[in-house]
Amino acid sequence: MSRKRSDYRSTFYSRIENFVNGKEEFLLYKPSGNTEARQLEALEEELTEAADLLDKREAQQRLQDSTEPLDFLKKFHRLYGIIAAIICLTMMILLMSAVSWLPRFGNPSNPANNEVIKRYIEKGQEETGAVNIVTGLILNYRGFDTMGETHVLFIAASCVMILLLIAEGEEKKSSYAFDRYMEPKNDIIIQKAANFIVPVVFVFGIYVILNGHLSPGGGFSGGAIIGAGMIIHVSAFGFKKTGRFFNEHVYKVGKVSALCFYVCCLSYYFYMGAHGYDNHIPLGTPGNILSSGLILFINMFVGTEVACTMYAFYALFRKGGL
Amino acid sequence: MEWVRFTFAAIFLIFAAVMESIAVFGVYKFKFVMNRMHAAAIGDTLGLMLGAVGLIILKGLSWFSLKMVIVVVFLWMTSAISSHVIMRMEYSIDEEAVNEETEKMQTGGTQ
Repeated sequence: MSRKRSDYRSTFYSRIENFVNGKEEFLLYKPSGNTEARQLEALEEELTEAADLLDKREAQQRLQDSTEPLDFLKKFHRLYGIIAAIICLTMMILLMSAVSWLPRFGNPSNPANNEVIKRYIEKGQEETGAVNIVTGLILNYRGFDTMGETHVLFIAASCVMILLLIAEGEEKKSSYAFDRYMEPKNDIIIQKAANFIVPVVFVFGIYVILNGHLSPGGGFSGGAIIGAGMIIHVSAFGFKKTGRFFNEHVYKVGKVSALCFYVCCLSYYFYMGAHGYDNHIPLGTPGNILSSGLILFINMFVGTEVACTMYAFYALFRKGGL
Repeated sequence: MEWVRFTFAAIFLIFAAVMESIAVFGVYKFKFVMNRMHAAAIGDTLGLMLGAVGLIILKGLSWFSLKMVIVVVFLWMTSAISSHVIMRMEYSIDEEAVNEETEKMQTGGTQ
């Protein structure tokens, strides 16, 4: 068995051991023996102690003032817990009983294995012109469903704007001024990295959108990528610089016009399909960029919509405005 | 030739695994936030690069290896910078923790 040296405390290895155990830091600043600095520190300590005392007194007074509604709150919380438990238990029982009635997984006679899937897989490319069957499915066969989803995005963004948008006044000024109060401002490392990353992210997002009918991807995923790129740009450079290419005006115009064009495209499909007419849109050869009818344009509109929504959520939650 | 390639790839992959385990160990072992961040960044950068190099050697030069190189470049940019941002947030916000740690060091490190 090895023994510790008598002067182990002062060796380099003991410092490493202390560092691993979290007792000592190599890198942190250690105050020197400067008397003035020490006096300043002592003053600061006194000040913080006084502030702490004041805080404690205020908290005690607040507690004393608010004893009356506390009883009611306690009762409410107890009742709330009981009711929540009851609701959860009933939901659990209902869902479990429903699950036990479901057909077994993998059974060929399940209702999910019907002729619809066969049609999608066998005739999807021929009828929609899209190599990516999923895109052809969600934008062509089930276009109505996807239109509803895009409207849901629009409505969600509108609701967040109603709740969080600060229109004008002093509040707007203060929230705009303090929106990066805690964050590092003008950090050169983040800015250099963003200079490199943001264009690549934008190009990748555009690629995903434009290749939505040829490869995995599409409007929703590509729009999310572009929105993430804009969020990176904002967090690196601030709202002033992002506002040069994406501000409230661009947001309104882009979002509303994308939704309108999207609805126009799909309405044309619906009208022609419902009346049994031929829609006269050439499908092109599957595999080319310009193929599969209106799917390419619908993907672009959906991508614009999703990118605007992503960025608007971020900006609204951060400073209450675009 | 196959065996030489396999051996080199295995060495790189084993080193990558060792680096990742050191990172995980450090994240749980260290007490102070910045030490932990340093340990986590080891796994993000060195472990990732060693693993990617091992896979490239295993697969040979092709489009696959180019994609791996791009993945490494992007993750080196983003993960290192995210560590940097978190570190700056910690530095600018959590004054109390820093003060506590310095006090502990001055008084001899009783936990």
